[in-house]
Amino acid sequence: MLEGVKAIGKAMGTTFKALTEPRDTIAYPEKRREYAPRFRGKHMLARDEDGHELCVGCGLCEAVCPAQAIRVVAAEAPTDKPVSWTNRYSVDYEVDLIRCIFCGMCEEACPTNAVRLTPFNELAAFNRLDMIADKEELLSPPVRR
Amino acid sequence: MIRLTIDDREITVPEGTMVVDAAQELGIDVPIYCYHQALGPLGACRICLVQVEKMPKLVTACTTAVQEGMVVHTRGSAVDKGRQGVLEFLLINHPLDCPVCDKGGECFLQDYTFQYGSAAGRYDEPKIHKLKDAAINEFIIIDQERCVLCQRCVRFMGEYVGEEQLLLEGRGVETVVSTVSHQPMDSQFSGNVIDLCPVGALLSIPYRYKARPWNLERAESVCPHCPVACTTSVTSREGHVIRVEGRPIPGHDWGWLCDRGRFGYDFGYVEDRLLNAWLDGEITSAAESTRTIGSWLNDTLEQHGGDSVAFLVGGQQTMEEAYQIRRFADEVVGTSKVAVSRSVKGYLPLGLNGTFEDLDRADTIVYLGQDPYDAVPVVHLKVRDRYRDNPGLKVIGIGAYDLTRSTVPGDAFVLEPGEEAAFLAYTLAKVAASNPIIARLGEELGDFSPTFKGAKSEQEVETLGRQLLESEHLVLLWDGKDPHMESVLLALRGLREDVTAVLPTFGPANWRGFERAGIAVDYDRLEAFVEEAIQGKIHLLFSIGADLLRDYPDRERAKAALAAIDRVVSVGLFFPEQRELYHAVIPGAGWSEVDGTYTNMEGRMQVAKATVQPPGQSRPVRTYLGSWAHALKKSFVLEPEWDPFDHNAGDLIAKDALPEVQSVPKPARPAMKDGALRLVGTALVMEGGMPSEILQPRIPKYPGRISLADASRLGIGEPGGELGLRGQQGMISVMVAVDERIPQGVLVLPYGVVGSPLNQLGDGAVVEAVSLEEVSLR
Ligand code: SF4
Ligand code: SF4
Ligand code: SF4
Ligand code: SF4
Ligand code: FES
Repeated sequence: MLEGVKAIGKAMGTTFKALTEPRDTIAYPEKRREYAPRFRGKHMLARDEDGHELCVGCGLCEAVCPAQAIRVVAAEAPTDKPVSWTNRYSVDYEVDLIRCIFCGMCEEACPTNAVRLTPFNELAAFNRLDMIADKEELLSPPVRR
Repeated sequence: MIRLTIDDREITVPEGTMVVDAAQELGIDVPIYCYHQALGPLGACRICLVQVEKMPKLVTACTTAVQEGMVVHTRGSAVDKGRQGVLEFLLINHPLDCPVCDKGGECFLQDYTFQYGSAAGRYDEPKIHKLKDAAINEFIIIDQERCVLCQRCVRFMGEYVGEEQLLLEGRGVETVVSTVSHQPMDSQFSGNVIDLCPVGALLSIPYRYKARPWNLERAESVCPHCPVACTTSVTSREGHVIRVEGRPIPGHDWGWLCDRGRFGYDFGYVEDRLLNAWLDGEITSAAESTRTIGSWLNDTLEQHGGDSVAFLVGGQQTMEEAYQIRRFADEVVGTSKVAVSRSVKGYLPLGLNGTFEDLDRADTIVYLGQDPYDAVPVVHLKVRDRYRDNPGLKVIGIGAYDLTRSTVPGDAFVLEPGEEAAFLAYTLAKVAASNPIIARLGEELGDFSPTFKGAKSEQEVETLGRQLLESEHLVLLWDGKDPHMESVLLALRGLREDVTAVLPTFGPANWRGFERAGIAVDYDRLEAFVEEAIQGKIHLLFSIGADLLRDYPDRERAKAALAAIDRVVSVGLFFPEQRELYHAVIPGAGWSEVDGTYTNMEGRMQVAKATVQPPGQSRPVRTYLGSWAHALKKSFVLEPEWDPFDHNAGDLIAKDALPEVQSVPKPARPAMKDGALRLVGTALVMEGGMPSEILQPRIPKYPGRISLADASRLGIGEPGGELGLRGQQGMISVMVAVDERIPQGVLVLPYGVVGSPLNQLGDGAVVEAVSLEEVSLR
């Protein structure tokens, strides 16, 4: 009997002690963790100051990607309507975020610094297709709050 | 033979071999830019530096011939340093724009820089800027900044093809490659410079920015556009054919292509490509159409028996497909009526068929009826190659117009249309009248004597006769138009002691393969089919990859034949002409969509791999055959696959015995009214082939050709004009231009020109020019 009361008291003691200790979890999504400045999350495609896309559709990111997550289709821009800063640009640019292992090799391979991995990491969707980020989506990257 | 050591390995090679080729034989790669075996050494780029013991300095491996006891080192610090220096110079003014360059990933400048170059340049001065992205014709773009001035392109066009259309302009670092007088290149062989350029200076416009070496697939194939069947490599990306390149076969073929073969690959994607099944003018589902056709077949067999069903096969099918069609006809339908749709009447016995190696050894080459430059372009290049090796090569053109051209000069005999066989029989009789074969050949010639446009003396005819009999290695290129030529060729073979080889330049491209697959290809077969159809003996026709109206020499007869058949089913890539004559049109799959074997004009079988899926509802023929057999509740097992290759004979079809020589009849000369023209048909790859959007700007707007005299009489100026023509069978209008090789009174028109059907009037017909209003009122 006494043994039992002792045990309960000890257990409750641990519980109450833990109540006042600092917590390992955070109240997501109201609160968010601070990440390392070079955290690698979802990709973006950057533009230069004039608003021209930096990506020239060279496909080097596609070639280097160990997960084969990227697909690039290049095309020639009309002379009077440049899309990127040269006459070659990517018409299609897709990243399959399910395949991607966020290694950052694409960013490293890009000769124009067009594809970059942002800290944004809130990746979830109800179907697989929605996890393929197309060019439109990558050109207007979401900001991590 | 010479013995030498390369990188500590001994090799024995023939005298005169260059060090670079000797190394290649050992499997040692020496970098090269300017050197190409077909073009010979030049020594312009200096990248091929190697070290030869006892020589004070590095030498270029491509200009150094092997010597007895030579010791060569292709690697080592001295060599690498030399190459590094060369690359540094090459890169001084290079724009370094690999990310936007289509050659990136398959570029020798990238590869060698990666292997031997230094990591950074030392040159800080501003780079010299030159022309970028400038089109040098409809298909090719030049970027002068990327050029390493290896001169391969310039030498190929000028020395190899003999059409000087590219040159080096400027001096020193300002030197650029440019077209002659800044005019677009119009050579039939222009596209080869893309393959030849080791860097990204000459690039294909239709392939521009389409793919990268790591996201494309390459498959071995052969060109389907003409009977040469050049070996190609087909590039596809994401199920689309996006490029065709030449595929050299070491020791056998350089891998040159003509522009039709290189750029005409988009016929599968043009707007007219059939993607759906049509029944009585309405789109239906594939299942519906197969079911209906199956029931037609069932009904016809029940009512009229197997012999009332016929099959007509066109040029696009593979040998395997032809075999399956024949088996289906034999085993399932039970008919022997399988014919090949053809435009010319001639047949060449296999025993006479030569190979391209004969061209390499020839001392006399005779063109019969057709200029190979337009009809079988790469054969012209092979003849030119021979001419470069042997400037004493005799070339003789015999036809209705001057068949020779300046790239391979020769002697032209310009005759009345359709008299080539009679002329040759006559010529041979002049020099060997006593010979029984010649006597047999000339039995029916009577008092025939040729008339020449442009003077030819009896003397010259005799010389020709002697050349034909006495030359050491005779090759004849025959257009297949006059069936009596077969006997002349047989007689030549019978009389001559040395090699006599004939290369048939006529289509359909794979006819020899059909023959091997068991389908009789002779014209009589086709004629018999047309006759029976007109008589109402055929109730169901399967026209597979064929277009009788387009191919058959007499359009009205073809129309009558099709109209007389109860049900006509067409399987093909496109709608046949006058589709209202067909009851069902179903989409077939073709080149690059089915695996198969094609036989070329040598009788050589070559495999072409499928790279893409057939688009839309189109399916290979075998699928349809299977489902029709199913509809008849008969089993038709396609496995095991038939193997066309005979493993004792290699890739050449084994030769058989030759037929007897028949006599050549005296040609009838139609009466010519004043101002009348005679039509001469010819097969031309550009004008007559399959539709292509890429080729459209190059396909001549004026496919017909007439003499200057006729043109000025008829008021046709530069660049050409439209002419109405009336013959016995109707009227057509043709776009014509002046060609100085055409004699007065002749109008040359390619087969298969959409809108100007030659077979409406007939090959060889006498026609008169009429006003265009009259034609439109017809
Ligand atoms: S981060 Fe790595 S895995 Fe993801 S797309 Fe880039 S290269 Fe591919
Ligand atoms: S993102 Fe960079 S590496 Fe990828 S295609 Fe564009 S330019 Fe090339
Ligand atoms: S364009 Fe190409 S092939 Fe021609 S000289 Fe320059 S590098 Fe050589
Ligand atoms: S010569 Fe004939 S087979 Fe060769 S590339 Fe040209 S069209 Fe094709
Ligand atoms: S390849 Fe030898 S000098 Fe150019």
